[in-house]
Amino acid sequence: MRTFEERYRTALDDPDVRAGLTAFQRGWRESRDAAIAELEAAEGRSFDELRQELAAIKDDVIANGDRYLDQFTANAEAAGAEVTRVATPGEANEQITRICHDAGATLMVKGKSMVSEEIGLNHHLEAAGITPVETDLGEWILQLAGETPSHLVMPAIHKRKERIAELFERVLDREFPPDDIDRMVKAARTELRERFLASGVGLSGTNALVAEGGSVMLVCNEGNNRMSVALPPVHIVTAGIEKMVPTYADAMKQVRLLARSATAQPITVYTNFVTGPRPGQRQHILLLDNGRTAMAEDPDVAAALRCIRCGACANVCPPYGVVGGHAFGHVYTGAIGLVNTAYHHGIEAAAGPQSLCVSCGACATVCPTDIPLPMQILEVRSKVVDAGAPTPAGRATQLAIAAFGQRWLFDLGIRAAGVVTTPLRSDGVTRVPRWLAERPGVREHVGWRTPPALPVRPARDHLKKGKLDEPSRLAAQPLAGRTVQLFLQCLSDRVAPDIPIAAAKLLRAAGADVRLPRAQHCCGLPAFDAGEQDAARTMVRQTIATLEGVDDVVTPASSCLAMLEHEAPHLLRDDLDDLERAQQLAGRTYDLISYLTTGPGRLPAGALDNGDRTPVTVHRFCQSSTTLQRRDSVERFLRDVAGVEVVPLPEAEVCCGFGGSTSIRSPELSAGVLDRKLGCVDGTDVAILITDNPGCVLHLRGGIHASGRQVEVLHLAEYLARRLPGADATPGGASA
Amino acid sequence: MGRERFRTGVEAASSRYVELADWGALIAHLAADPELGSDRHGAGDRRPRVALAPSLAHAQPDLVAGFTDAGFEVAVPDGDDPAAEVADVPLAVVRAELAVAETGSVLVSEHALGDRVVTMLCRRLVQVVDADTIVDRLEGAADWLREHGGQPGFASLMTGPSRTADIERSLTIGVQGPDEVDVVVLTTPSGGADEA
Ligand code: SF4
Repeated sequence: MRTFEERYRTALDDPDVRAGLTAFQRGWRESRDAAIAELEAAEGRSFDELRQELAAIKDDVIANGDRYLDQFTANAEAAGAEVTRVATPGEANEQITRICHDAGATLMVKGKSMVSEEIGLNHHLEAAGITPVETDLGEWILQLAGETPSHLVMPAIHKRKERIAELFERVLDREFPPDDIDRMVKAARTELRERFLASGVGLSGTNALVAEGGSVMLVCNEGNNRMSVALPPVHIVTAGIEKMVPTYADAMKQVRLLARSATAQPITVYTNFVTGPRPGQRQHILLLDNGRTAMAEDPDVAAALRCIRCGACANVCPPYGVVGGHAFGHVYTGAIGLVNTAYHHGIEAAAGPQSLCVSCGACATVCPTDIPLPMQILEVRSKVVDAGAPTPAGRATQLAIAAFGQRWLFDLGIRAAGVVTTPLRSDGVTRVPRWLAERPGVREHVGWRTPPALPVRPARDHLKKGKLDEPSRLAAQPLAGRTVQLFLQCLSDRVAPDIPIAAAKLLRAAGADVRLPRAQHCCGLPAFDAGEQDAARTMVRQTIATLEGVDDVVTPASSCLAMLEHEAPHLLRDDLDDLERAQQLAGRTYDLISYLTTGPGRLPAGALDNGDRTPVTVHRFCQSSTTLQRRDSVERFLRDVAGVEVVPLPEAEVCCGFGGSTSIRSPELSAGVLDRKLGCVDGTDVAILITDNPGCVLHLRGGIHASGRQVEVLHLAEYLARRLPGADATPGGASA
Repeated sequence: MGRERFRTGVEAASSRYVELADWGALIAHLAADPELGSDRHGAGDRRPRVALAPSLAHAQPDLVAGFTDAGFEVAVPDGDDPAAEVADVPLAVVRAELAVAETGSVLVSEHALGDRVVTMLCRRLVQVVDADTIVDRLEGAADWLREHGGQPGFASLMTGPSRTADIERSLTIGVQGPDEVDVVVLTTPSGGADEA
């Protein structure tokens, strides 16, 4: 396989990839959501309940693997199959080649099998004089093109029909109009039909192995899989050992979620249960380990073995939508590929792809087996860092994190940068001089996203005791007599001070006594995100110590709350005392929107209605939706409390592409995700874009500025502070 | 109630749904189908070839005579090379063990090669199921599988004609398997061989 860097560049350079995948993801999302809603209605249970049930079945199998494997083996052998356990890809390839040779077969028809991709089977067969023929339409197209699958379920989804038509014209030597997909499909049928009948061996993958009956469950829509299995005199099954389910009833629970998650169908056209060979046939079942036992024994990733290969995690993944599966994955693609590659193909193979994840959390919301994919990807990232295989960019990040961990050093650096860049500051951005902006190494970072203005003085300087003006007061005073500790967030404190300053104004206007814990620095998220878990642990512990007490803690940065609620307990899981402190802190910490809607600062309807009716639109910070379950709370708040018209933003909860360090490590990818977001913003025809996470604000602001769009990006706090009585309608002066 | 839900599922999967009294009615129904006399199935004014799954033909031998009398040329692929006997046969008839209302699927048991080639190589597949075998949920099919578990077998839940969306997610009906499917529910319960 080509190097990650090559795959990444190729994907970025191919305009078909992004255009095709974005359309695919949008179409899939709509039909999948409808299919799941229908299922929830029919079953009278939520998707979460259904997937947890499936997860429990798979967890039982992961914990008791050997017992079910033995049961399956005994039953399959009683039905006439030969079952062999193989540890490595090498062993698997050897066995398969031997079976073909023993049968005197030179032609093999193949149903879809990810394990065969995992072990690189086709190369081995060809070297041994056996011709493999892929029979799944997508796989066949790729075989003709000399490519590998870029998706678990839709292997050729990265290819536009024009390219496929060209390929067919070249290989089959007749005309194929690109719009006549039916003709291409029928040609494949004709070409493949003879192969099914002439093959000495058929090979298939496995969707599930049913322990109680020794059956191999195989699903497909085209009919190719069952033909590969049923017709040739020898049937080889390749299966990862994790494919086990205890009973047929369990298999049906998988069926119920699999096709809906894969292709939004209630069930695939064919769901076959193959038990032993037919009369006159031999059946060999190869059960492959290749790192699976190691995964089962590692609590950080064991749950990844629940995977039923539906591909849903790729279908909602914004970076996948930009570069596709050849870069976003290795053999296994999408979010799951960022996890299991480390175990099936080694940590080096996992290093590049995992760096593309923006940690938006979308994958985990659709996974039908409820795998905590975002956390697992961060675990793999930390293993990559520990293994010491970072890229030059990775090494620079490490250094930056180390410097950043020292608050005084960071403060000093950023203040100095503020002074140095003073002449370049205008309209809240830093105008990079052209001679610099066009240099390689700078260009890819600033061409698409203008850097924010760097203030000389951080927010904390403005919010010191004695520095605060007399607040403007709202009629409603829900926070009268209440003390609020403001957690600034390191980024806004130094780069976007207007945000915490606005948040403080707002809280004080609602009656709060706002305090600023002096020693606060960083929740540890950037370090965790960079795979530096030790540094992250130190920072989160420091944050806990700083914020300890009994008052409410409010932060204008939803990402920090997500960190305290979700990642911090994970990082501190081995230290019960720290874990409890982290949980206590998370329990009294609020993001601004929850504090003002469901928390103590709940504002009544109309409280911020100043008569301004200029319509706005809202980008939902991805983790607000995926991790904090905020859904449309910002939109509702703006309508009810501020009385403003909110124009719905299409794909509102899809990540903007900031992704912490991703936008620095892989700027082209980040720019691609941002582009999709800004396209959606264009569609609303609104001049004010509101969001409630500072990272998104800076990223969107920079992108909008660089693209010349006339849209103002505001943090929720900034927007609301403008609506306070007597407020100036222009942004505050901290960055000036 | 189960039958209505089943019908919805069948139609959603792009199959035709038909209720008929018994096998005799089915033969008459197919004989009267104008499509089957058309050139599309290569038959002029004669009825086309019809393949019967060997397990079905053996259990109900009078079906062969019934189809023949109605003008069909009947193939029962139970020789040495069953695939050659039915390669690209325009029409095939199989009997399903049961039907699942939840998904609009039928469960066909096709252990022998002859039974398999019938459902795989034909262009239009008629799946016949007794009304009293319709189960509500997939778990009903799981019960059947458990009862037959451990014995060699090839049980296929079939839901509609074969299809693909591999090219730009554009749905195309008819890939390797049949491109037309009729699901026929027989409302007068029959007991397989008893009917013969
Ligand atoms: S990880 Fe989950 S969503 Fe991704 S392919 Fe596996 S089961 Fe599907």
